[in-house]
This record gives sequence, structure tokens and C-alpha cells, in this order.
Amino acid sequence: MKKVSIYRPSTVDEAIQILSQHGTSASVYAGGTDLLIRLKNRLEQAPSFLVDIKKIDHLRYIKEDAQGGVEIGAATKLAELADSRLLQEKYPMLVEAINKISSPELRNASTLGGDLLQEVWCQYLRGGYSCWRNGGYICYGAIGDNSYYHSAMGGRLCYAVYPGDAATALIPFDARAKLATPQGVKELSIEQLVPGDMLVDGRIQSHVVRFNEILTSVVIPPPKPGLRASFEKLRPRGVWDFAMASLAIGLQLRDKTIDDARVVFGGIAGKPLRETAVETFLKGKTLSAELGEQAISVALANAAPLKYNATKIDMAKGLLASGLARLNA
Amino acid sequence: MQTGMPTITGLLLDPVGCLAEFPPGPFHEIAVRFFGRKGKASQSGSRSYWHLLNLMEAAETPLDGERRNAVEALEAEAVAGASVYEDVLPVLAELTTMGIRLAISSSLSRAAAMRFVERCSLGEFFSGVWTRDDAGGVKLAPLLRALGGASLTPEKTMFLTDTVEGIRVARSAGVHAVLMMNDPDEARRLAMHNPAGGVVSLHEIPDFLRLIAAQNQRRLRIGEYPAQVEAIGAVKPEGDLLKPSGRP
Repeated sequence: MKKVSIYRPSTVDEAIQILSQHGTSASVYAGGTDLLIRLKNRLEQAPSFLVDIKKIDHLRYIKEDAQGGVEIGAATKLAELADSRLLQEKYPMLVEAINKISSPELRNASTLGGDLLQEVWCQYLRGGYSCWRNGGYICYGAIGDNSYYHSAMGGRLCYAVYPGDAATALIPFDARAKLATPQGVKELSIEQLVPGDMLVDGRIQSHVVRFNEILTSVVIPPPKPGLRASFEKLRPRGVWDFAMASLAIGLQLRDKTIDDARVVFGGIAGKPLRETAVETFLKGKTLSAELGEQAISVALANAAPLKYNATKIDMAKGLLASGLARLNA
Repeated sequence: MQTGMPTITGLLLDPVGCLAEFPPGPFHEIAVRFFGRKGKASQSGSRSYWHLLNLMEAAETPLDGERRNAVEALEAEAVAGASVYEDVLPVLAELTTMGIRLAISSSLSRAAAMRFVERCSLGEFFSGVWTRDDAGGVKLAPLLRALGGASLTPEKTMFLTDTVEGIRVARSAGVHAVLMMNDPDEARRLAMHNPAGGVVSLHEIPDFLRLIAAQNQRRLRIGEYPAQVEAIGAVKPEGDLLKPSGRP
């Protein structure tokens, strides 16, 4: 394992000061289920200084806000989200998605913030290859085995997919992220938080959180009236694995008429991919058994699969059909 | 694979394989008719071109008038049949805006290279076109001639290539060989030859150069998120920091 120094600040401000001092050689440490593996594998890009935020108060909670929405501290464990009656009552689709992340053991350790901001799981990066995210200047996934961990929707230097499920599931609820920064609190939509393929502080990353910023919470607005939502995920095994393709879909219904729609694919692109063409198609339509097949015909028209991952697009389209069928049932 | 690279200020391009897909036929025919090559033509225009350059380099006598005219006629045929990559124009425009010095360095004849540049209306982007006719040789010679002619510093210059010969030539000239990964299987093989980097498409080059510049200058340039463009270290920590519990 790469040798590191660990700071244990007791406030977010202290943590930001430490991160500011060390620049990109420091990193926030919470659940560790991503970070510690990168350290164990001695990746070039792994940090030398860890800023352990587990002891900071007010980062681990689930609470209802005054508007009827819910705010979740970034250090809240995924298992706590999965067990939350408040979330189950208000956003059952989110709980369903969280329950499909990894294994029960890892959900006990992983945090919501960590899931949102995790590094990609491309086997070449994790295997220590000098790729774009690990000090080099080439994407091995683009020319090697890209059947699982790589984008079927094109890329920008790095072709790895964004691996998180929580972001995919949060977007249909129009959730927002709060960041503590040296300049104060910054608020972003989840789409803005993880736009994929970003150049931030001289590094390629999937999110826009800078070296001296900390994700502190996620705020989910109150559920809209008539909202029905579904989360689908295809993976090689029923537990543990990342999505080969996933779909979070939220429909705002008036009887069976779709007033508004959110359709977000995971596991197929460098970001949670909001498919606005399908959303536009669905608006005003009546939810029916035939709608799935019709929606497929307009979905993912910009697909650009690599040599071995065209099947991801078929999987994603299949999930769209099954998701709509579930909501129609 | 190389890690760390100086900020790049110049880019050398050979039209064959970097800016367009050339047909292999004319290069193969030159090789067969004038340099005694036997066997089938490669399916790749680039490979046929570099095979031909190897033969030209090994030839003991230079092309005389009539043979030279015939070779140039076949090269003109290759230029006419070349399919220019669709992102060439916007990428060259963007690189020019970024202040990157662009030059053509090619082992084609001057007539063929100029015909290509004119046909694709690329003249405005290049500070010069250097060919085997200008350099008095193929492969390394035009590259060195272009470096001198365009006043480029080798360690701050990239050469795009999609062949192993191109990687070797760039390395001998001291410039960074960047792989154009046009074909994934071929690119996987070429990646074993330790190029400085690789891109799937020409449109990735501007981001590539920005990344290197950001790494070197410790500055940010965030494409779609310009609100927080700041230098690393601009935020000064205040007060006493906690002591770390160990040293890396």
C-alpha cells in the first residue's frame, strides 16, 4: 500500500485548510471503499495525504427539511440510506437504487459522497496502467477490452464510464449537492456535479469538485405530486458488480398522462446520461404497454460504441422498455 | 508509457494517416513498379506509405526525371482519393486559436503535399510545409527540416503518427510521438512501442494539450465549468493546521 499521512480535522473549515495546503496530493477520506483500493494498488494518482472527515460532526444525517424535502449528509453510509424509513416513504426508487449498489458489507462502509465522487473502475486504471487518469496520456480502454467499464456513448480522452448509481437515481428527483469551498457554500445540481470527462486542477475526473472543496450534503426537493419512479440495473452478478447499464426513470403522471419525465442512463457513458430526446418524446403521451417500444426508437441516437461494448446500448434500451412497463403495471 | 511532458507549443502533421485516410493502392503501385516490392498491398494507406518510405530510404539511387514524374502522378492519385477526417478543420482552427504552431512534415513529394493542402483549404493553418523534396530525404529528414524551418523546440513538439515507423522517427528527432488510434487492434499493437501518448480522434488533441499545460502550469481550464478557474494554491490556508499522523 502506498504510504500516506492522515489528518483528522474536526471541522469542515479545518479540512478545507488542509486540502488547500496540499493541493492535489491530498484527498478526502470517508468510507474508503474506493480510495483505499487505489492506495493499495499504488496508483500514481492516489493521494499522499488523507483528510479523514469521519470525525466531523454534521456530515452524517438524514433529515426532512422545512419544505418537505430531505437533506442527506455526504458522510452518511449507504446502508443508512437503504434503511431510512423517511427515504423509503418519500423516494422509494432511491432506496431501491441504493440497495443495488455493491454488497451489504460495502454499503456499511461506503458513503453517499463517496459513491457520487468515486473514481472510475476501468480495469486499466485500477491495474496501474499509465492512462489519462494515472499520469499518462493514453486510454487503454479505447483500444483494449472495453466490454464492461467503458463508454458506449463516445468520450473525451478517457473512455471509462461513470460508475456510480446514486447520481443516476438522484437526478430524476432534481436533487442538488452542497459543497463547502474556501469561498463559502456552492450549490450544484447533480448533473452539474458529475458532468463527466472534466479537466479539474490538472486532472481528468468525472466530477467538478476541486482539490480544496468538500461535498457536504445532498438536498432532494419534496416529491412532486403524481411522481412514479423506477430504477433498473443490469450487472453480471446480482450483488457486488457495477452496472453494465442502468436506468432511473421518473414520470410525473396525471392519471395515465405523462406531464413530465426524467430518463437517466447509468453505466454507458462518462456521466449519468440524461436522455432528453426520450423525455421530450414521453411528455404528453399516455402510459401504455406499447410506449416502451416506441420510446426505444428515439433513445440513444448518438450512441458511439467501442469495439466490444455495443451490447450496452441494447441493454440500456431494454431497461427503458422494462422500466416503462414496470411503471405501467 | 511516458508520464509528464513539457507544455507543447508545436505540432507536426503528416497528411497520411493524421489528417486523412489515403488509399493504399497508389503507394503500393509505386513500391512495386519502382522499388521492386513484392506481395499484396496493405489495407491501410498509412502502412503502404511507410513501407514505401522504407524502400525509398534504402534505395541507392534517387528518383530520376521520368520515374520521379510517374511517382508524383501516383501520389497525386493518392491525394485525390484521400478522405479527409471530418474533425480536421475545426481542430486545426482551435489549435491555431490556442497559439499552437502547426506545420506539415511529410515524406510525400512537395507537389503532392501542396495539392493536399490546397484541396482541403488548410493553407491558412500551417506555418510551413516541409516535404522530402525540401529535406532531400524521407522519414526523419522532413521532420528535422520542419523543426528547423518552423523554429520548433523538439521537446515541446508533438508528431502524430499511426505507424511504428512514425513512432521511431519521432523519437529519433526528439519529438513526442502521439499515436492516432484509428484502428483499435493496430493501436493496441503500436501502444507496445511506447509512444508518448495516444488519441482516438484528432478532436482530442486540444484537450490533450490543455491537460499538459494545466499539469505544468498548475492552472485550471475547465471546459464547461468556467466559474472557478483559478490557480492551484491561490487559496492560502489560515491558522495552524493539524499535524499529520505519519509521513508519506
